[in-house]
Amino acid sequence: MPTRRSRISTDGPPSRRRFVGASVIGLLVASALVLGACSSTNNSSSSTSSSTPSGTASLTSLEKWPTASVSVQETGSSLLYPLFNLWVKQIETSWPNVSITTGSTGSGTGISDAANGTVQIGASDAYLSPAQLQTSPTLENIPLAISAQEVNYNVPGLSAGTHLKLNGAVLADMYTGKVTNWNNAEVTALNPGVNIPSVPVVTVHRSDSSGDTFLFSSYLTASAPQSWTLSPGTTVAWPNVAGAVAAQGNGGMVNSCKANPGCVAYIGVSYLNQASGAGLGYAALQNKAGNYELPTQATSSAAAASFTSRTPASGTISMIDGPASTGYPIVNYEYAIVNKTQSSALVAQAVKAILAWSIDPNNGNAPTYLDNVNFVALPPQVVTISAKLISKIS
Amino acid sequence: MPQVLHLVTYVPLVLLLAIMAALVWKAIPAIRYNGLGFFGRTTWNLGNLYAPLVSGHGVTHPPGAAYGALPLIVGTVVSSAIALVIAVPVAVGTALVVVEKLPPRLSTGIGFCLEVLAGIPSVVIGLWGIFTLGPFLSHHVATIWANHVPDVPVLRFFRGPSGNGQGLFTSGVVLALMILPIIAATTRDLLRQVPRATVEGAVALGMTDSEAAGAVTIPWVRSGVIGASVLGLGRALGETIAVAMVSGSLVGSNVHSFYSAFTTIAATIVTQLDGALTDASGLAVATLAEVGLVLLVITLLANIGARMLVRRVATTALPVGRGI
Repeated sequence: MPTRRSRISTDGPPSRRRFVGASVIGLLVASALVLGACSSTNNSSSSTSSSTPSGTASLTSLEKWPTASVSVQETGSSLLYPLFNLWVKQIETSWPNVSITTGSTGSGTGISDAANGTVQIGASDAYLSPAQLQTSPTLENIPLAISAQEVNYNVPGLSAGTHLKLNGAVLADMYTGKVTNWNNAEVTALNPGVNIPSVPVVTVHRSDSSGDTFLFSSYLTASAPQSWTLSPGTTVAWPNVAGAVAAQGNGGMVNSCKANPGCVAYIGVSYLNQASGAGLGYAALQNKAGNYELPTQATSSAAAASFTSRTPASGTISMIDGPASTGYPIVNYEYAIVNKTQSSALVAQAVKAILAWSIDPNNGNAPTYLDNVNFVALPPQVVTISAKLISKIS
Repeated sequence: MPQVLHLVTYVPLVLLLAIMAALVWKAIPAIRYNGLGFFGRTTWNLGNLYAPLVSGHGVTHPPGAAYGALPLIVGTVVSSAIALVIAVPVAVGTALVVVEKLPPRLSTGIGFCLEVLAGIPSVVIGLWGIFTLGPFLSHHVATIWANHVPDVPVLRFFRGPSGNGQGLFTSGVVLALMILPIIAATTRDLLRQVPRATVEGAVALGMTDSEAAGAVTIPWVRSGVIGASVLGLGRALGETIAVAMVSGSLVGSNVHSFYSAFTTIAATIVTQLDGALTDASGLAVATLAEVGLVLLVITLLANIGARMLVRRVATTALPVGRGI
């Protein structure tokens, strides 16, 4: 018989008093660690009101590139990511002393990382909420370009080149589990003459916190308030639908939709080429005027135009389900989430130059960049608004 | 100097207390807001983050915020159970063959493989799970039975479309692969300590090899295998990134099929933290801390349960946790 294992820990029971003493020290250290963890989040109150009343700050005055070497971090929206990488490539070629890292992590991360100072530029498809501005009053959202969102599907047997017509009510019914098959009467009623095969619907949504989720849920709320009662946001409490799939990032949405025949998914327009390459179709969505429009630069531009004069100085505005009769219903400003107070003058100068270059119609907002991702340039009035916001960074 | 050494002894205790205290401290608003109903609800709703914050249960929160931990707890327990059901028989079988049947050189080789397998980072296993294992399981393995399982309660769970490879089944298999080396290597070391004379005596009495294994060898090491399984269970319960990658990360609803997307506590914390950080009231982060506490308690309960089980079946106590 093998012998019992001998106890390794101690040779005998430690004296009770010594044990208590060590426990007290342990508790003290533990509480110090806890207090340390709590007090480290209290440094966001050092806001300086450095609003420069520069009026119509011209972009060229903001595009003063630093001569010292400087590195800037960007993270956030996977919708803006492809465009930002195109920009960064050009910037790093023209100004080799500026190095920029980019990350496709989702708008939620873009906002939170910009708020806690992990990155200098957070990318987001969603603007900041009032509550976020209350806790982080030095943050601002700067419009960079106009984007749109397509609704994709993978319906085997549907003839290639067909764009199904969909509206908010049908999409809401799919995502709440009321419409479970593509040849449901609700879908076929919108698509007379189209032979839609019987395929079960698989709803795909984002698993990460996402500006795309914010845009899509805002469209459902705006266009089908009877069918969609959940509040819009970057994270939505999706109804419990059998077979529902969650995916991370726009890239993940494309892959997931490809892998799940019958899928319906909302994907940023900058992924249109990937989605089409993966064999996914995209829908013509019904706008407020009742017309079905495809996500093109023309329809996005038309939709955004009706909001240009209404865009406030803060840049915060929803352009979902706008009044334009030829406008695509899901368009938005892509935002840079930036802290007005940067860690150093050098970094602030670099961030200002990068952002001003990006919204410049001759540089970052030129068709050579935007056409690759199907984005639309900011109208001149909005460029002025963004330039004013950029000039507040210091 | 002895004093310093004495203090060092208490580092694990201090760390455990510090982690617990920090978690509890962070989770207090969520514990107050979510209440006991937390364990029965299935919703995961951050509320309307764009509306002004409101006050309720003494906590500032976005309107409409509602959290439930039931799907996370069920997902954690069920996926780990699947992993154990797959891994334990395979591990014990592997160990038996390695010790009893294979020539020494080959068994050393397999032992080496077990150690390498144990050392593969979980994120690599997750990647492989997404691209290779998941699609293979859903398209070629699950299809063998998924359409033939009768449509009756309980068994219905294993019926139906076999999904896209991201879900409970794939996660269970991935977890099984990750805990297999721990259990197999420990069992192998235990089996080597079973006295040869006893086993040979059993064979001399006319038992076949498998009868001798069932009647003598396995009972001899039973308590050790249980201990090893709990080591594996502990890893499976807390495994994060591999599960987050192959689970489908579906929060807010209970797992309804063996192949459907789901989530575990650990995977939820890693996939939802970014979104939670955008909740200006901090309630979402507090809720993640609360589910973290729940995971700690579940792991603790599993360990206590295992100790009691080991004590009950410990006819022959053998060293546990050797090898790896």
